[in-house]
Amino acid sequence: MATDKSSLQLVANGILKENPIFKLALSMCPAVGISTTVINGLMLGTAVLFVQVFSSVTISLLKNFIHPRIRIPTYTLTIATWVTVIDLSLAAYFPAAYAKMGIFVKIIVAFAIITMRLEMFACKEPVKSSFWDGLGMGLGFMVGMVVIGFVRELLGSGAILGYDVLGFKPLLFFILPSAGFFVVGLMMGFFNWIETYYAERKKR
Amino acid sequence: MKMILTIIFRLTVSCLIAGTIMGTTFVFTNKAKKANEHAREEKVMYALLGYGAGQEPDEGTALHEIFRYIVADGDSQSIGYLLPAGHHGEEAGFVFVQLSLEGDFVSKTAIPLSEEKAREQGDRDNAVQTALGSSQIARFVDQVMVVTEDGSRQAYLLSGKFPGYKTNISIILALDPAYSIIGFEVMEHEEDPGLGAEIEQDYFKNQFKHKPLEKIKQLQVVKEPLPDEYYNALEGKLELAAAEQIMLQYSDNDIYAITGSTISSDAVTSGIRGMTKKFAYRLDTLEKVLEAQQIGVPF
Repeated sequence: MATDKSSLQLVANGILKENPIFKLALSMCPAVGISTTVINGLMLGTAVLFVQVFSSVTISLLKNFIHPRIRIPTYTLTIATWVTVIDLSLAAYFPAAYAKMGIFVKIIVAFAIITMRLEMFACKEPVKSSFWDGLGMGLGFMVGMVVIGFVRELLGSGAILGYDVLGFKPLLFFILPSAGFFVVGLMMGFFNWIETYYAERKKR
Repeated sequence: MKMILTIIFRLTVSCLIAGTIMGTTFVFTNKAKKANEHAREEKVMYALLGYGAGQEPDEGTALHEIFRYIVADGDSQSIGYLLPAGHHGEEAGFVFVQLSLEGDFVSKTAIPLSEEKAREQGDRDNAVQTALGSSQIARFVDQVMVVTEDGSRQAYLLSGKFPGYKTNISIILALDPAYSIIGFEVMEHEEDPGLGAEIEQDYFKNQFKHKPLEKIKQLQVVKEPLPDEYYNALEGKLELAAAEQIMLQYSDNDIYAITGSTISSDAVTSGIRGMTKKFAYRLDTLEKVLEAQQIGVPF
């Protein structure tokens, strides 16, 4: 049962139609906890992107070998392996980033979005579409994290990418974890509004 | 039955593949990671000694390492110290001084070893073992660094590890020649962010600064709110002179625990207390012996 979508559609699907954070509302914990700045969001997003693509491709490659009754342990093992690989590589080659991110990179093992994509997509589809789906989902997550990080950094510390742009701190509240929920909620509403807006316009 | 075997077989193969991938990555990245850690350690040490980033230490500054071994000879044990030999300015290899557990002199063995080789644990252990012969077994325990400037002692650098709230906390501690604390830096820990991880913050770390040995010996944590003026002084928000004044005023106080992280605060405090106390005792014993036996050392 191969999907009939093209690679571009698969990527766009991950970023817009099934955006992990704004549409599927999965992996909310990192979205709320870590996205206090654009850089944090970008770094975690990149790590997730790699883990998602590698895991999707691995599971898709091995889908005939994996016994269907024990697929969950195999998924976990696959994700854990790639997280470890990325964790070790980050520690070795990007020590400055790792000092900040280290503790969160390990948590990627438990991100719902990755397991969910393996279960829903990669274990049924050919390698090529799994790759594009993983890329789309990873990019979707990264875009979501960066957008939330942008809003929170701008409103919370008055800066973008660490550069002071406003000169003052509008609302310190946005740096705190609980503000993450507000930003995610507002973004969700915004995404839905755009979607309905275009759907309405198409009808006319 | 066949199904069980298939499942076992396939899961095992998956695990083996995963293990191979992870192991290979570990081997490839470990060297780079070690190099990073070493660079960081060096940077932290210089920072503790008061040299900022990019600032080179003075020419007269030298680091001398003392390696501590436990030597087992049948049932009896003794402590061995591998020291650089010769007075200030001489290059005379290393000397291995053995003390009994009570602190009395046992023996002294000269060990031909270059400074670079002494830093490599494998080479060092081999040299010590060869010099001792096969009847005694030496086991490496720890090392400390003595910092000298033109032959006079400036500081001691100790690295240590003690259990925190979750896993071990490892620190580098700098003491001055009278064993008062110059400062410490947390190298590795896995305490909770926002709670135990606050041990890395200046307002906690700097509380230890300038505490004399007598105070360290009975240092405790108190569960009281940190006074505002002390907090500002610790965080470096005040002018230097004013901050010094306040620091002096609180120098006889115990350590104010981090709110919500009494266990982490207590772990660091008792860890530092133990490290300092033991080190002061060991070095005093060693020095007594060195003096009595007239063994020259460059520090």
